[in-house]
Amino acid sequence: MLEYILAKYNFWIYVVLMMIGLYAMMGKRNLVKKLIGMNIFQTSIILFFVSIGVKKGGATVPIIMGHGHGHGQHLIKVADYLNPLPHVLMLTAIVVSIATTGVALATLILIYKRYHTLEEDEILAIRKDPSSYKTLG
Amino acid sequence: MKNWFKLISWVAVIMTGALLIYGIHDMPAWGDPDSPANAHVSPRYILEATEKTATPNIVSAVLADYRGYDTLGETTVIFTAAISCLFLLRRRGGKK
Amino acid sequence: MIDQFPALIIVAPLLGAFLTPIIGWRYRQLCRPWALMILAIPLYAAGGALLQVIRSGPFGYNLGGWAPPWGIEYRIDHLSGLMLVLIAAIGLLAAINAKPGVSMDLKGKEPHFYTLLLLQITGLMGIVITGDLFNIFVFLEISSLSGYGLIAHGEDGAPMATFNYIIIGTIGASFYLLGVGYLYMATGSLNIADLAAILPNLYHSKMILVGFAFFTTGVAIKMGLFPLHVWMPDAYTTAPGPVSTLIAPLMTKVAAYIMIRIMFTLFQPDFSISVVPVATILGWMAVVAIIVGGIKALAQTDIKRMVTYIMIAEVGYIVMGVSVMNRPGLTGAILHIVNDACMIFGLFLIIGAISYKGHGREIYHFQNLNKKMPFTMAAFVIVALSMCGIPPACGFFSKWYLIMGTIVAKQWVFSITLLCSSLVNAVLFFRIIEKAYLAPLGGGAHGHDDDHEEEVIVRDEAPASMLIPILITAAIIIILGPLSGKIIAAVIQHAVPAAF
Repeated sequence: MLEYILAKYNFWIYVVLMMIGLYAMMGKRNLVKKLIGMNIFQTSIILFFVSIGVKKGGATVPIIMGHGHGHGQHLIKVADYLNPLPHVLMLTAIVVSIATTGVALATLILIYKRYHTLEEDEILAIRKDPSSYKTLG
Repeated sequence: MKNWFKLISWVAVIMTGALLIYGIHDMPAWGDPDSPANAHVSPRYILEATEKTATPNIVSAVLADYRGYDTLGETTVIFTAAISCLFLLRRRGGKK
Repeated sequence: MIDQFPALIIVAPLLGAFLTPIIGWRYRQLCRPWALMILAIPLYAAGGALLQVIRSGPFGYNLGGWAPPWGIEYRIDHLSGLMLVLIAAIGLLAAINAKPGVSMDLKGKEPHFYTLLLLQITGLMGIVITGDLFNIFVFLEISSLSGYGLIAHGEDGAPMATFNYIIIGTIGASFYLLGVGYLYMATGSLNIADLAAILPNLYHSKMILVGFAFFTTGVAIKMGLFPLHVWMPDAYTTAPGPVSTLIAPLMTKVAAYIMIRIMFTLFQPDFSISVVPVATILGWMAVVAIIVGGIKALAQTDIKRMVTYIMIAEVGYIVMGVSVMNRPGLTGAILHIVNDACMIFGLFLIIGAISYKGHGREIYHFQNLNKKMPFTMAAFVIVALSMCGIPPACGFFSKWYLIMGTIVAKQWVFSITLLCSSLVNAVLFFRIIEKAYLAPLGGGAHGHDDDHEEEVIVRDEAPASMLIPILITAAIIIILGPLSGKIIAAVIQHAVPAAF
């Protein structure tokens, strides 16, 4: 069993990370914690994709070294370089996740300005009964 | 109400986790150079990219040339986020 | 020129969006004419592309000149051509309609609004046009992010509704991305056509099953399929008028498009029938969605919120048409995507016009509205008739095909649900029409406003920029009905897989 897990341990880590993130997004009542959960969730996907591109047996970063373009092409062996495509996709996905976090933070600022709290339960209480609203200072 | 909510999230999380673990079983061995992902499309990038795009860094070559329109979309995402934040956070223009 | 149409459809609104803030920086009032001009280009190009597809079949466009599995390919076939025209037309009408609403709700932020509107259209068109799974994700995020920004600017509860939408929408998009990852891991490709050729040998791989499950869940979240609809009513109800008009009809329909693409182009239809019983599960989810959406809609007094629950039921219609897995069912589903987009668009246009004129959105506010806003209410009656499925309005025809599909599949519960849902729609809309047309003058029925028994009701119609899109949409709804036979013959029948 342990060997079974260890053979693909990074996929197991990604599953655990994703479950943590998903739980934080759905179960936590503090909005910032939800946002942090969202980041963990997206990070786990990045780990998953990057794990796909790994090649064991001496493969290195996909930068062709040592010769200019045009000649010496026969020297390149596919097994010597990691799969570049997942890295490319994840560069895009990282940017997307940053952008989403940014917009989410902007809405959090709006929420805080309006209710002076980021606890979902308190916000729901204020929306149900505006008199429970506590002004700051 | 609160416990009910936590229960739903636990159920969803455990279902997702079970599905993910179910999927692990059939995955090719980690780091296998001959797995489909490493064998179908990407070898051509490694073999050709330097010659066709004159870039030693294959990730850059794929990012900016082969899949350049993904990157255009990526920049657009950043632009969208910037405009969204401005739209939300700027005080109403005109009358200060 | 026509060879470049696929690129033009995306690049024109994208470039337009980049330039809008620069133009709006100095000349704020130029933003709207600029956006209208830009939006006319993709409408023209999409129309040309659809005609090209009808004439000579599907065609592709290799971006950057790289051959498909290595580069990104734009692919236009009958289904995506139809969706492109739909998105471009609704986007243009929504931009025409936006002027009064924007100057009321979003004063001083016109450049940002029109930029985000153009980006939204770019994202939705990109999802439809691209033939690459990861590219779909990127465009999905463009349209989602612009949607988040636009919706959060709405009324009191909007930021909270948007935050929930961001969290749930990100789960949806990430699940989609995860599905892409699993398929990539199993095949090594991201191109839909390439994958469709490789996948049939791998149908029993657990990776493919998990990937398919995440695809479906992610798309169902974006589509608002019950029970994953929780973000939808709040987000679309609290959004500013012009925004819900733009996003509500399109976002769910484009998600439904992705679902049809995955189930019928990426996978063979028998994958969802025999390998995993997805079709059956989706069908019963659709039944629950239609029932719950109908009941919740009946319980609402705020008409905008009522329409969002009707949307949940309508999503159920489309999914039901997909799930029965036969020719009339899928024809009905695709036809209903078009019809329902027009009907929901019409409803939100009318709600926007009514709110702009300062009337409330509660049902009792509709009292005698036919005298104040005769044209708007006439359009409302047309949309309502279409919603209830009364010919010649277009709603009848798609429902006819959907019911035919359920009968062919011998799913009697589905047929009964569809019929009952039409009755529920009839109740929903006739109680509003009754209020507007038949209630006695002076508000006697509710007893408020008794002082002005003799009040003369002046006609106070919505401004032309709102009224014109409303009337055009109403006309389209009527025209689409008799035309649906032609649309099916020219377009939709080619979008249905030949195996049916």
